[in-house]
Amino acid sequence: MIIKKISKSDIGELLRQSVEKWETYVPVDTDQGDTLFTLLPKEGSELENALEKVNLKDEWTVISPKDIFFPQLETMFSFEKDNIKEEVESSKKLIFGLKPCDVKGILFADAFFKRNLDDKYYLSRAEDRVIVAIGCLQPPRPEACFCTSAKTGPFIEEGFDLQLVDAGDEYIVEVASDKGREFVDLYPELFKDAEGDVSRSARKIKSDAADAVKVEVDFEKALAIMKGDPDLKENYERISERCLYCGACVYACPTCTCFNVFDDNKQDKGIRKRNWDACIFEGYTREASQHNPRKEKSVRAARRYEHKLKYDYKVNDVSGCVACGRCLASCPVNIGISKFIEEITTNKRIM
Amino acid sequence: MKNEYIPYKAVISSIQKESFDTNTYKVVFDDEKIGNSFDYKQGQFAEISLLGIGEAPISITSTPSRKGFLEFSIRAAGNLTDKIHELKVGDSLFVRGPYGNSFPYDEIKGKNLYFIAGGIGLPPLRSLINMVMDNRKDFGHVKILYGAKTPDEVCFKGELAEWKKVPDSEVWITVDKPCDGWGCSVGVVTELWKETEVHSENAVAFVCGPPIMIKFVLMELEKSGFKDRDIVMTLERYMKCGVGKCGHCNIGEKFVCIDGPVFTRHEVKAMPRQENVF
Repeated sequence: MIIKKISKSDIGELLRQSVEKWETYVPVDTDQGDTLFTLLPKEGSELENALEKVNLKDEWTVISPKDIFFPQLETMFSFEKDNIKEEVESSKKLIFGLKPCDVKGILFADAFFKRNLDDKYYLSRAEDRVIVAIGCLQPPRPEACFCTSAKTGPFIEEGFDLQLVDAGDEYIVEVASDKGREFVDLYPELFKDAEGDVSRSARKIKSDAADAVKVEVDFEKALAIMKGDPDLKENYERISERCLYCGACVYACPTCTCFNVFDDNKQDKGIRKRNWDACIFEGYTREASQHNPRKEKSVRAARRYEHKLKYDYKVNDVSGCVACGRCLASCPVNIGISKFIEEITTNKRIM
Repeated sequence: MKNEYIPYKAVISSIQKESFDTNTYKVVFDDEKIGNSFDYKQGQFAEISLLGIGEAPISITSTPSRKGFLEFSIRAAGNLTDKIHELKVGDSLFVRGPYGNSFPYDEIKGKNLYFIAGGIGLPPLRSLINMVMDNRKDFGHVKILYGAKTPDEVCFKGELAEWKKVPDSEVWITVDKPCDGWGCSVGVVTELWKETEVHSENAVAFVCGPPIMIKFVLMELEKSGFKDRDIVMTLERYMKCGVGKCGHCNIGEKFVCIDGPVFTRHEVKAMPRQENVF
C-alpha cells in the first residue's frame, strides 16, 4: 500500500480544491451543535464558512452517511398527465471523513442495492465516488461504539480509497485503490511522501485506538447462536414491552434500507417519491384487507434483530450490523444491538 | 441501467365484472415494444399504478400462452384499487413487471392437479389453470375446488363453466351463504372433501386464498396424504417495490416479491415460526 502524508492545516485547501471536481461531503458542525455530513458549497464565503466548521475529530454524525446515496426522501420520477420523467442523480462525489464503521455500512448497502435487480437511484448516486475514511482515535460514542468486537473499526483494512490516520499535526494517508492513487496524484503539493517508519507509527496509533473502545461483546458467538435458530421469544417480548417503536434505531442505522413509496401531487401533476420506512412499525406489513402478519410488537422486535444478526449473515456471510452503536445511542429507552448481543451470549438480563 | 421503478402506460381494452367488488381488466401496453418485451410466466405479478394515487402488486391472471394483452382481477379494497374501479374502457393505468417466480409447469406434466381457491384467491391460479387447459393432454386429472362467501363473489363464472366441460376436468364450487336457486354446495371449501375424492397419488395441489381458508385446506391436504413438496402456495404480503428492495414483504431472509410469491409448503415451513406463515 502506498503511504502519503498530509498536514492537518492543508485539509482546508484540499477541500477547497476538491469541490471544483467533486460534490464533496464532509462532517461539518452545525450551528445547533450537531456534526453532520454536509455537501460543501462550491465557492465564495459560503464555502469558506463551511470549511471553518469542518470537523474531522472523533465526533459522531447522528445521521448515518447512508443518506448521501439513499436520502431519507427522494424523487423517483415526476409526472404530468400520462408523461413520466425519470429523475436520477449521478454526480461525482467525494465522501471525506467517513468513519470505518460507516464505510462498512456503505459497502453493505452497495451490495444490497446491486443484488437481484439493480436499484438505479442508489447505484447512480453511488457509482462515481471517492471514499476517504478516517479512523477514530477515541470512540465517538463511548458508551455505544463496539466496532472492535465486530472488526469494523476503529480502522479498517479495505473498502476505502484513502484512509487517514491522525498522527498529531498531520494525517498518515493510506492509499488503497487506483482511485485513491489518482486522487493523491492530483494534489502533489498537499499529499507529501511519508518519511521514516510511518507504518510503524500508524500501527501504534491504530492499536491505541482499538484499546480505547470500551464496549466489548462476543459478536462471533452471537452470530453463531443466531444461526442456530434459537427461541428468543422471551428476549423479544421484554424488548417489546419497553420499545417505543419510534423508529430512531432503524433510521439511524447505516444498513437499514427499507423504504416506502408514495405519490405527491396536485391534480394530474406530481412526483413519485420514496422515503425511509421501518420494519418495527405496525403498518409496515398491514395489507389492504387489514390482515397483518406481523401485528404483534414482539414479532416486529424479532424481525429487527434477526434481520441484522441472522438473515443478512445467511444471505451474504456478512452481518447486517456494523457495530456503529447508533441504535443504542439514539434509543430513548436504552435498547441496542450490543446489549441484545450481550444478553444472548451471556444469558444475563442486560436490558 | 434499466430503471425498474418506471411504469409504462397501458390502456384498458375491456372490463369484466366478476363480483360486486372485483373486476377483471384486460389491458394493452400503449407502446407495442413494451408489450412485446413483457414476457411473463404463470404465477408472476405486476406493479400497477395510477399516477398521483399510488402503486400495488397485482397478480397477472391472464395466461402466457394467450398473447397480446394482460389481465388483472382487482378487488376494490383500498385507496388505489377503489380508484381503479372508477376507470372505464379506454382509460389508462401504468404497469411494470413482470416480477416474482412462477408456478412450476414442466415439473407437473403428467400429474393430477388440484386447484384449491377461496374468494379472490382464484385469480392468481387462473394463469396456470388456463395454461393447463390450453395444453390439456400434457396433464392428468384436473380438479378445481373453489369456495366463496356468496354466489355473487364467485369470480370467473363463465370460465368455471367452460373448465367443467373440458374432458377429465372437474369444477366444484361452494359458498358460505347461498342464495335462492344456488345449485352448488354450501359451506367452506373444505366441505368439498365430503363431496369429491381428493387423492395425493401422483398429484400436486395449488392453494390460494385468505389465510384462514389456507390453514384449513392445508390440514385437509395433509389428511389426504399430500407431501409438503407437492403443495404449492402463492403468498400475499404488503409490497411496495416488487424488486426485492423496499423490504416490506420480507419473511426471514426471503422476499416474497423475488423469491416468491410461489412457495411449496416445504419452503413455507422453513420460514420463521413467529411470522405466522401457515
